[in-house]
Amino acid sequence: MTEAQAVPQSQTVKARIVFALTALALGLVLALFAQYQNLPFDDPLQAESTLGRLATWMAQQSEKDPEDIRSPLARYAHNWATELGVEALDPALLFNRISQARSGYLALIALLLLGALVARFARPSAARALSFAALLLLNALLFLIPSIQGESVGNNALILSLLAILAVLAALALSPDKMSRVVGFFLALSALLLGWEASKSLAAAVNYKILLPQASWTYQRSPTLEAALLSLQAGEVDVVLADRKDLDDLMPPHPLQADAETHLPYPDLRYIKTLDRRQGLGFLPIAPAFPGRLSLAARADDAADASAARAIFDWRIAAVTGEFADVKFLSQARHLVLLDLKILNDLNLPHLQMIAEAFLQPARRNGEYLLLRILGDAGLYTFSEAIFGFLFGAVLGFALGSLFAHSKLLERGLLPYVVASQTVPILAIAPMVVIWLGASQLSVAVIAAYLTFFPVTINTLRGLGSPAPEQVELMHSYGSSRWTIMWKLRFPAALPYIFTALKVSATASVVGAIIGELPSGIGDGLGRAILDFSSDYSMISTPKLWASIVMAAVVGILFFVAVNLAERLVLRRYVRAVDMR
Amino acid sequence: MSSSRQDVVIAATDLNKVFNPGAQEAVRALQGINLEVRAGEFICLVGPSGCGKSTLMRLIGDLLQPSAGDLLVNGKSPRAARLDRDYGMVFQAATLYEWRSVSKNVQLPLEVMGYDKAERQRRAQAMLDMVELGAFANHYPWQLSGGMQQRVSIARALAFDPSILLMDEPFGALDEFTRERMNLELLRIWRQTGKTIVFVTHSISEAVFLSGRVVVMSPRPGRITKIVSNSLPYPRDFKTRSDPAYHALVSEVRELLRDAVEAARPTGD
Repeated sequence: MTEAQAVPQSQTVKARIVFALTALALGLVLALFAQYQNLPFDDPLQAESTLGRLATWMAQQSEKDPEDIRSPLARYAHNWATELGVEALDPALLFNRISQARSGYLALIALLLLGALVARFARPSAARALSFAALLLLNALLFLIPSIQGESVGNNALILSLLAILAVLAALALSPDKMSRVVGFFLALSALLLGWEASKSLAAAVNYKILLPQASWTYQRSPTLEAALLSLQAGEVDVVLADRKDLDDLMPPHPLQADAETHLPYPDLRYIKTLDRRQGLGFLPIAPAFPGRLSLAARADDAADASAARAIFDWRIAAVTGEFADVKFLSQARHLVLLDLKILNDLNLPHLQMIAEAFLQPARRNGEYLLLRILGDAGLYTFSEAIFGFLFGAVLGFALGSLFAHSKLLERGLLPYVVASQTVPILAIAPMVVIWLGASQLSVAVIAAYLTFFPVTINTLRGLGSPAPEQVELMHSYGSSRWTIMWKLRFPAALPYIFTALKVSATASVVGAIIGELPSGIGDGLGRAILDFSSDYSMISTPKLWASIVMAAVVGILFFVAVNLAERLVLRRYVRAVDMR
Repeated sequence: MSSSRQDVVIAATDLNKVFNPGAQEAVRALQGINLEVRAGEFICLVGPSGCGKSTLMRLIGDLLQPSAGDLLVNGKSPRAARLDRDYGMVFQAATLYEWRSVSKNVQLPLEVMGYDKAERQRRAQAMLDMVELGAFANHYPWQLSGGMQQRVSIARALAFDPSILLMDEPFGALDEFTRERMNLELLRIWRQTGKTIVFVTHSISEAVFLSGRVVVMSPRPGRITKIVSNSLPYPRDFKTRSDPAYHALVSEVRELLRDAVEAARPTGD
């Protein structure tokens, strides 16, 4: 009896928590809504948002000569300007539209959450559907709201939406209803996006508070690095704070290696890149825009002390103006944080909004097309290569598998080579294929096929051998030929195995196509895009590299989904087999 | 038996089977098997595991080749009989194809043998009606119980009207209750179709209940200990199991099997 009472009671508690969380989310969304009201149209929160940047670009494009316009969106902007009878679109007009749309969007989220609150009492199942819809819409905000370091408003907008997502996510996770596959997927996705941005916010919060432990330190700002280093040599300062990359080229490191080049311009200075943080010294990301790139130069005599952070009182520090020596920054008293979160900095892990924005900006300054279009075309190109590679691989794999299934001799003799072929890195094979077949889509397809035939071979072999001996004996008792046994028994029995392999192959073929593009010098695919954006790993191209990765993933996932659908269609009679997987 | 030459469907003379002949681990599975099965007879091969009863059935069905001796089926070699489609086979597992509907499973042998579609469907439906699964033609095997699957398997074996039904412990995996129901069902089908049935089992009561003759076999090497004639009248039903004559036969077969197993034990065991 007590148990029977306990269950509903714990459920009411849960229901109350869910209700409270939903109400909290509603409050947060309303706060976000208020935040945007009366925002000046050129506020960074607006201007630097994904859509704001897109609007700026459209406004620029609208004044171009129609002959030079390629992008449909730019053409649209141009036509709009013509319609209005102006030379170029006014960004304020576009910002105004965006602002209206955003208000509507936020109001819709608020309404959904309100609906969820009301429905808690009437129809709990509807409440969850409404919360779920609100969650999806909230997630999209992460791709739109810019993270503006140091500007309290921008941070607040992002943090408010993160908190709202967290609240709705918790409410959905706690609500007692059964979870469908789709809901489960999106909950996990939301948690991932939330985790991504939350860890970045945490890192930003931590990094921003960091550093330079001694209030007694004094700073001297130098116009150039050279000037700073000269004053270091002259003994006017004790250490110089500078970009790691710049220092690397100028002086030998500390401790001095035996083979260090001593003919560098400042032979008696030392470059210290590993600072001992246990000593309480943390030259960690100081300027948010250049995290993790700070280093120290010291005179050779002082280098040991500086690297061990001894005798650090009353340091006189020189830094280059405009780079790290932000006046405001250096004047602030700071605290030491011993946590290095540079893996989460914007260079290593861009904001989701930065990736979304990369898609909606031209790849190059004044480029004709948005990156979305360029990567979309590249994705299609790579996809077509991958499909051919997949088909080659599937046919070859099936042929080999069938051959091996019918001849023990061939299996014993050739299977080791098939296995060995997969131990040779595809990066070594790819250039050879390009030399043999020329730099064409054909060679790329062959390279992709090299990756894809193997699982098909192995699984075909396995699948064709999967029928029980009695099933084969049964076919024998009908006086069946080998051919009949193959098509009536072995092949249908192998289909689930083959499809499992095809799903692996579908994704592998995209990888194969991307890798195949590299040595063949084909510039139209994703391989080249990834290579381009990773060769210059900077704040400018990082989000583009991530955008390329996203596009490659999208292509792979689409291919996988297509094969999965085909499997469902072909294996619809194998209900048990499909369900068990 | 003057008329017997005509009637004999399966004739085994001095049949031997050795697995891995010549090798160290050579196994004499069957030795000196002499057996005649007459048309329309229901014969059971019974014995402990390892006595070669399944091997004997596989030899008859041309799934294995004998090492020595003669074996004629319908006056032909087993291979010729197999190619003439004289055998319907039922195994312990129903071995239905999961991707085929019940009806399509029954049609499988007919497809292999090149019957046209209308004929295939007609026969499959007739067979399914006979095993009382006519309503399940469009179901899939995994939607049926074990007993129903085995009945489909019997329907499939009968679909192409073979003269001999070879059944290798077909009800071995079923529970006692279902098994007894299936026994009655099988007897009904046998009487309805008049097939010759060779039925392998390790259940003494099942063997006695079903067959006209019980072939008692013993292991190491597999031999026929005795062929027990079973004159219990057909049709048999649940009352047969309480008949004293039935119990007497069961006891006799059990004694024979016990003796056979004792004799086959290695000395000093």
